[in-house]
Amino acid sequence: MALDQLYQQVILDHNRSPHHNGRLDGATHSARGQDALCGDDILIELRVVEGRIEKAAFSGEACAITTASASMLMDWLVGRSLAETTAAYERFSQLLDEPESTDDPELGEMNHLRSVSGFPARVRNALLPWRTTLSALEC
Amino acid sequence: METVESKVKDQLDVFALRDQFPVLARKVHDGKPLVYLDNAATAQRPLKVIEAMDEFYRYYNANVHRGVHQLSVEASEAFEGARESVRRLLNADSIREIVFTRGTTEAINLVAQAYLRPRLKEGDEILITHMEHHSNIVPWQILCEQTGAVLKVAPINHQGELLVDELAAMINERTRLIGMVHVSNALGTINPVEEVCRIARQHNVPVLVDGAQATPHMAVDVQALGCDFYCISAHKMYGPTGIGALWAGESTLEEMPPWQGGGEMINRVSFDGTTYNDLPHKFEAGTPNISGAIGFGKAVEFLEETGLEGIVWQEERLLDYATEKMQAVDGLTVIGTAKHKGPVVSFTLEGAHPNDIGTIVDHYGVAIRTGHHCAMPVMQFFGVPATARVSFAPYNLRNEIDIFVKALGKAREMLA
Repeated sequence: MALDQLYQQVILDHNRSPHHNGRLDGATHSARGQDALCGDDILIELRVVEGRIEKAAFSGEACAITTASASMLMDWLVGRSLAETTAAYERFSQLLDEPESTDDPELGEMNHLRSVSGFPARVRNALLPWRTTLSALEC
Repeated sequence: METVESKVKDQLDVFALRDQFPVLARKVHDGKPLVYLDNAATAQRPLKVIEAMDEFYRYYNANVHRGVHQLSVEASEAFEGARESVRRLLNADSIREIVFTRGTTEAINLVAQAYLRPRLKEGDEILITHMEHHSNIVPWQILCEQTGAVLKVAPINHQGELLVDELAAMINERTRLIGMVHVSNALGTINPVEEVCRIARQHNVPVLVDGAQATPHMAVDVQALGCDFYCISAHKMYGPTGIGALWAGESTLEEMPPWQGGGEMINRVSFDGTTYNDLPHKFEAGTPNISGAIGFGKAVEFLEETGLEGIVWQEERLLDYATEKMQAVDGLTVIGTAKHKGPVVSFTLEGAHPNDIGTIVDHYGVAIRTGHHCAMPVMQFFGVPATARVSFAPYNLRNEIDIFVKALGKAREMLA
């Protein structure tokens, strides 16, 4: 059933034990992402060295979908260039628009978040960490 | 179904009442019965309202106040008849005191701009409470920016009750208006409006009351309350969206300049000058929401026919039952525990974000509200990013609360 798809194990696991969760010492870029309507309020901190993201972390309060999306994204960001990140955001957005499309190998675990597309009110939660990251990078 | 539930003190046949609301028979998410517990956001509409609006468009759709033909006369009579119904609802003196607006929000903005703005000087104060809906905060903030006035906020306690003594102590010679909510949408608190109005009168300070959440749940008598402005929305009380009303005393409305200019609010227009129409039309520029007003009037009739006594009795039962069942849920905290409450329960659940709770219970057919409920300062006061909220109407059943509490258990299992 769709609800099990949305709250599938991998998403729940990330929500329970989010990766890279906390403040980042030595951050060079940061941005706060808020969704006033549902109460999500996250801070994304990045350490960018020579055009590549060396470290990424997020903190704050958010729902399970935002938390899981942020956790997966932080994993993915390490070692990426700004251009790769921007391009991946486009592909991730597309994945939510077209849930029937095949997995994008570049996006790894984040492919699981395609189930969010069945819950239109929650799509913005999956996108919030991405948008906040791009805002931090001023892309 | 429990037979005991079908009759409330012989005053309210809940199942007969439910039959008047077609949407309550709906199934959602693969055949689950709809359990609608989001009544504070907007209540559902009974057939009486739906059919009256439909009838207007089918049989006598015409513009009001301007035509000599039969349809226009019929439309005007129905429109003004609805105004009389709203007058009755609030026990106003005259239909001249009932101004149709888009809703509570527009009514408050009207008062802010047409009544208060011309009176305000830099350093003057507007006093509101910490539990206001954004619609009773932001218009005053805009006004403060325009005039240099200052917004003051009366505190609440951790039960979500207004600290009346503290509010009284904040009134001074610079206070130009007190704005307060009658029933809080986020906490359910019923405020002692009459008492605040009595205190305000001693200082000659006018009081504006946001009554959006009050009219569906209690008898409102603006004369007994002693307020100066009372603002309501039809859709909170089983009427259509996009229509509401401002009540203010005739002499106050007479003194106020028009807010919006246009057709309908004028007497005579020439390029040398314009004279304005009589009350309440002076504040109703443009073609009004005629079908909405007719539906609004029918919503008042629906409340009268159903009987507020039965409605209150059923809602109190639902509130008590829900509170008891919810407080038994591990990790659940009720936000807003005022002694006098309307049928609203806001809550948080340990380990589960309100947004996720809302999505999960929706899957079981239960519609609830999650978020800040347009009352962010309330969320800040209680130190929560958001809450989930159930809110009841007399057509809700205790067994729907059971379904909700069970769904809440599923949410907890899933997320914990």
